[in-house]
Amino acid sequence: MKHDLQLKVQAWLDGELPDREARQIAEWIARDAEASALAAELGCIKKAMFRNEAAAAPGESREFYWSKIERQIQREAGLRRGAGTPWYARWRRYLAPAAGVAALACVLVMAVRQNGPPTFDEISSTIDGMEAVTFHDQTSQMTVVWLQDNTPASAANIPVQDPVLSPDRPVPVSDM
Amino acid sequence: MEPDKSALAEADLVRMAQRGDMVSFEELVGRYRDKIYARAYSMMRHEEEALDLSQDAWVKGWQRLAQFQGDSSFITWMTRIVINLCLDQLRKQKRQRAESIEAMEENDGGGIERRMPVVQPNPTLGLERAELRERIDRALVQLSHEHRTVLVLHEFEELEYKEIAKRMKCSIGTVMSRLFYARRRMASLLAGLKRESSE
Repeated sequence: MKHDLQLKVQAWLDGELPDREARQIAEWIARDAEASALAAELGCIKKAMFRNEAAAAPGESREFYWSKIERQIQREAGLRRGAGTPWYARWRRYLAPAAGVAALACVLVMAVRQNGPPTFDEISSTIDGMEAVTFHDQTSQMTVVWLQDNTPASAANIPVQDPVLSPDRPVPVSDM
Repeated sequence: MEPDKSALAEADLVRMAQRGDMVSFEELVGRYRDKIYARAYSMMRHEEEALDLSQDAWVKGWQRLAQFQGDSSFITWMTRIVINLCLDQLRKQKRQRAESIEAMEENDGGGIERRMPVVQPNPTLGLERAELRERIDRALVQLSHEHRTVLVLHEFEELEYKEIAKRMKCSIGTVMSRLFYARRRMASLLAGLKRESSE
């Protein structure tokens, strides 16, 4: 018997043929012993298998079986939430605290600088034979310079024009 | 304490689960886990794989619950999900392994199934239901994945050729050919089992 005819017998058995063709095949099966035997064999397997699936059950308890499903659902829900968030939003969770700490540190530094004790910066500069000492008072925003001439002849040759420039007295140079 | 949902109807449980109630979904899993597992097992014939795939099917079911419109029963809908997962898995495995000799025989010019003598008398005659099921199960193990799958989908799931072809991503002609071979092989295997038991 040709293979396509064998498949027609099977399709007839499964009710997959159009009405007209089904009638033709049924007539042929009734006449042909080989087709009839094939139809009987296929039919008995079809009938035997119908609703005769062997039972099978997972070897795990209901609770354990469910717990794995539940964990996977929660894990995948978490991943989906993560995947749906834009990159800047994910970074924000780290950047926000860091920015807060940095801002706090700036405020503290500024507060310490404003309320702390005044500082006096001292700058020394020595020119040949001259000695200068500079003080800057940040509180009063004033710089004071002391000049001292150490050259041997200074005492005799340089006339003192202004008592302010007296080597022993401080001279306000500029107001800052 | 969680409310007892065991007395609720399936439709109510599905509705509550669709609103995000996991306890209702857990009850549905408890009710149908054996059937979903059994379908996965009948296709994969491997306990671990069947367990993993059946659980994956429930996870997918939860994620797609909003798509369930109630056109079919919930268990039919879930069974379709597990079947699709099993078919995907079988396709992956098929890519990884060489074609079986059985598959080559099916595809060659003169398929062995065409030449096999018709089995007579009926090899399932006179068997108790439990024994018949057990023999069918033993015979199914000896089929290739392709032949077993088409048989399971047609005989157990009662799908039409067209639907099987769509799910298995093959032609209707291939489905018919595989089903024919699988049935003839089953007849031969069941006859062999009958002879074994009578000896």
